[in-house]
Amino acid sequence: MSYIPIPEDKHFRIKRIGYDPGRSRPWLERLVYSLYVFAFWGFVVATYAGVPALFDWLGWDSGWGYVAMRATQVVMLFLLSAVIALMLILALRKYLGKVQERYGPMHYGPAGGIQTVFDALKLLGKEDFVPAAADWLTFRLAPAVTFVSSFAIFAVVPFASGWTLAETNVGLIYLIAVSTLSAYGVLLGGVSSGNKWALIGALRAGAQMVSYEIPLALVFLAVAVWSGSLSLGEIVDSQMGVWNVVPLFIPFVLYVIASLAELKHIPFDFPEAESELIAGYNVEYSGMSFAFFFLAEFVELFLLPALIVVFFFGGWHGPLFGLEPGTLAAGALQSLYFTIKTAVWVWVFLWIRATLPRYRDDQLMEFAWKAMIPLALFGLVLAAYMRLIWR
Amino acid sequence: MELRMKQERLFDEDVYTVHPEDYRALCEKLKAEGYDFPRAISSVDMGYGLRVVLHLTRMSDLAKVEVRTDVPYDDPVVDSVTDLWPGVEWHEREAYDLMGIRFRGHPDLRRLLLEEHWEIHPLQKRYDTGGYPLPDWQPKDWPDPAPWEEPPPPEEPEEKAEGGEGE
Amino acid sequence: MSTISLEPVPGRTDEMVVNMGPQHPATHGVLRVVIGLEGERITRAVPHIGYLHRNHEKIEEARSYTQVIPYTDRMDYVSGTQNELPVVLAVEDLLGIEVPERAKQIRTIFFELFRIASHLVWMGTAMLDLGAITPFLYTFWDREIILGIVEKTAGARMLPNYYTLGGVRRDLHPDFFKDVADFLDHLERRMPDYEHLVLENPIVHARTKGVGVLPKERAIARGVSGPVLRASGVAYDVRKAFPYDAYPDVEFEIPTSPDGDTYARFWVRFQEIYQSCKIIRQLLEKTPKVGPYKGKAPARLRVSGERYRAVENSRGELGVYVVGDGTDKPYRIKHRGAAFGNLQVIPDLFIGAKFSDAIAILSSLDPVFGEIDR
Repeated sequence: MSYIPIPEDKHFRIKRIGYDPGRSRPWLERLVYSLYVFAFWGFVVATYAGVPALFDWLGWDSGWGYVAMRATQVVMLFLLSAVIALMLILALRKYLGKVQERYGPMHYGPAGGIQTVFDALKLLGKEDFVPAAADWLTFRLAPAVTFVSSFAIFAVVPFASGWTLAETNVGLIYLIAVSTLSAYGVLLGGVSSGNKWALIGALRAGAQMVSYEIPLALVFLAVAVWSGSLSLGEIVDSQMGVWNVVPLFIPFVLYVIASLAELKHIPFDFPEAESELIAGYNVEYSGMSFAFFFLAEFVELFLLPALIVVFFFGGWHGPLFGLEPGTLAAGALQSLYFTIKTAVWVWVFLWIRATLPRYRDDQLMEFAWKAMIPLALFGLVLAAYMRLIWR
Repeated sequence: MELRMKQERLFDEDVYTVHPEDYRALCEKLKAEGYDFPRAISSVDMGYGLRVVLHLTRMSDLAKVEVRTDVPYDDPVVDSVTDLWPGVEWHEREAYDLMGIRFRGHPDLRRLLLEEHWEIHPLQKRYDTGGYPLPDWQPKDWPDPAPWEEPPPPEEPEEKAEGGEGE
Repeated sequence: MSTISLEPVPGRTDEMVVNMGPQHPATHGVLRVVIGLEGERITRAVPHIGYLHRNHEKIEEARSYTQVIPYTDRMDYVSGTQNELPVVLAVEDLLGIEVPERAKQIRTIFFELFRIASHLVWMGTAMLDLGAITPFLYTFWDREIILGIVEKTAGARMLPNYYTLGGVRRDLHPDFFKDVADFLDHLERRMPDYEHLVLENPIVHARTKGVGVLPKERAIARGVSGPVLRASGVAYDVRKAFPYDAYPDVEFEIPTSPDGDTYARFWVRFQEIYQSCKIIRQLLEKTPKVGPYKGKAPARLRVSGERYRAVENSRGELGVYVVGDGTDKPYRIKHRGAAFGNLQVIPDLFIGAKFSDAIAILSSLDPVFGEIDR
């Protein structure tokens, strides 16, 4: 990196005016952000192991007690998703700063660690109004629909063996169904805003999300066929020997691309193209409603990499160092592996965000329909064939 | 057809000063001669009238030409050359907007830089910098050999009658 | 300004009129385009400008020529001293001022430095419009170095008010040659990265190739100049056509591209950065380190006559038409902004394109509204 020539005239002294970001202390940044990851992991352990243990100790483990335990877990997960969003927004900003040769947030907290708290306060403090030309009820409900559909994916994500909120054997179908609902939220939000720009953004978003759900579903099918089960827990179990990314490489690549499109992430962030539509479908939202859209996007930014890890990278598998599987300690270690792998994938997504420009929407659709669906079908057939041969 | 114009050479350009009614004919003649790149249309308030200056270049040999026309204040109408060179469209609109010269035949003559409800043309000399009319501004008299006429030859007996292209 | 409306065309019922308003992250300034959209395809586009009109021309009629020069800086504010040169040259012609050789070379070096700075800004903002947020930060860092160099010599960064009648105002800073040489080395190390990120990026190819094609005759007839014209295949560059300053003594090429699409405009601007580096390197060797930096200008300016003088701005042909009436203040000074001519092709290029193509096209036309609206 190079210098900026600064005049060293003795009659002219440079005085630091305004805010000085301070020195950058890399060790502090690494410490703060690892603390965040560990805090997340601790939260996961608390939710999936702590809450059942607590209720067990209280003696409320059947009937309404069970319901209460699950409800508490849901509340904890809600808080967790808030923490995730907090972390990820900050991680995004810091990481973008790193890529772009600048610091990122530095002011609040050590190395900018508490920045998102203030972002959240700012969003809460904004006036949450409904424009006069908007349809009141739909406008208010749309962010909720989006957020719920993102958040509901948490129910089937296995953080460790046995640590799933709702252990069903049709988890995959639930996943497809629920994640599709977010397209509704976006469409409703944009169309009900009473703003032409929001309308354009919503229609683009709807078209894009729907187009990319088809390859997504085909990839899910390929994984289900290969693993022999529709339950996410069993899919992870079946990756004991070899992670799915090795046999299912084509579906893996397609899944990454389709996830980027579902997330409306660069290079597919056409619907919220900031430089074209200002903010696309959420241009008229502010305050808490906007915070919900935002939260939904960042929760999905965590969940979709988590799903990549679940489907292709062995989920929570990792060396157990002699611990008995099924115990709390083993569960904690497994969820730590899961957290780290997910963090790696989130980092990859952020890296893509920092680097690439965006595609035009007809190019997006063309890519989805003409390239991804045939490849996904091919991957599905290949997976079925391989299962026939090798299992 | 005889064009009422005067041609001179300033620095490295040919400058034609032409009667406003022959402006269009001269422009067509120049376009036929190959001047294809319109650089700008400037407008000047001469004190006795408004002047349109069209700057053209020929891409093939980079010859430059200027065409000047003067119009009186009370009837500042000149033919538009937008169909010959589409690139003068905005320049003519700007000349209309700021100086008040109307271009007959322009496809969309409305104000460009100022807002549409403005009524004055601020670059004229009768207004000061703030847009307020100067109280004691009077238009000057029209120059005696009109700008597109050759100046009368100096009184020398042997001067050949170079009354030239003036009329 | 007028309301958002286009006259309804009978028979066309599903056209949505959208106002790409003056405040928009992608219009590079304050441009308002009223667009008629059918789905994603643009059917009509009417640009409105004038949001940055500051009435330079009338104000400058009440300022002396040396006072006019800082006003001209503010026209194309990204290009700094490039705007000062046409006025300076026109008045020097009218007064017959001799400019020493070294002053010409210094002026040319600054001219080319600002061309690089302007193209770096263009690159950053063009990629930002296309969605890549990172090149913006990289190119602005390089531009910071240029602005630091300019600040050391001229005193101000973006709007330096450095040229004057007869040469430049101040002599070069003692570190100037070393700074510029270091900067050129730094830039030439970075340019392959930029080429990789921008020119060889398949997403950029997909967004810009074949988009917004401007045919050659249309470009000439529209009065388009600069990189936009050269990307349509016309090798017209005021530096070679009507040379000024030290340009007759340096060797450089005019990059031209036969396709007239957006990618060609991107490519031409890239090549121009390389050519500018080449010019500056030649001049760094030729310019004597000490010597006269300003010729003799009369203390009392009495300028009479008219003169149109143009230079090759980063955006095209920046021209000025000076009418002097014998005093030291211009009787009329008209600026012909480079981007003013370029923006006239918006209806030609937008119609038939998709909406996001319109953004890419606008970023490739590179308007700066200071010189459009003045």
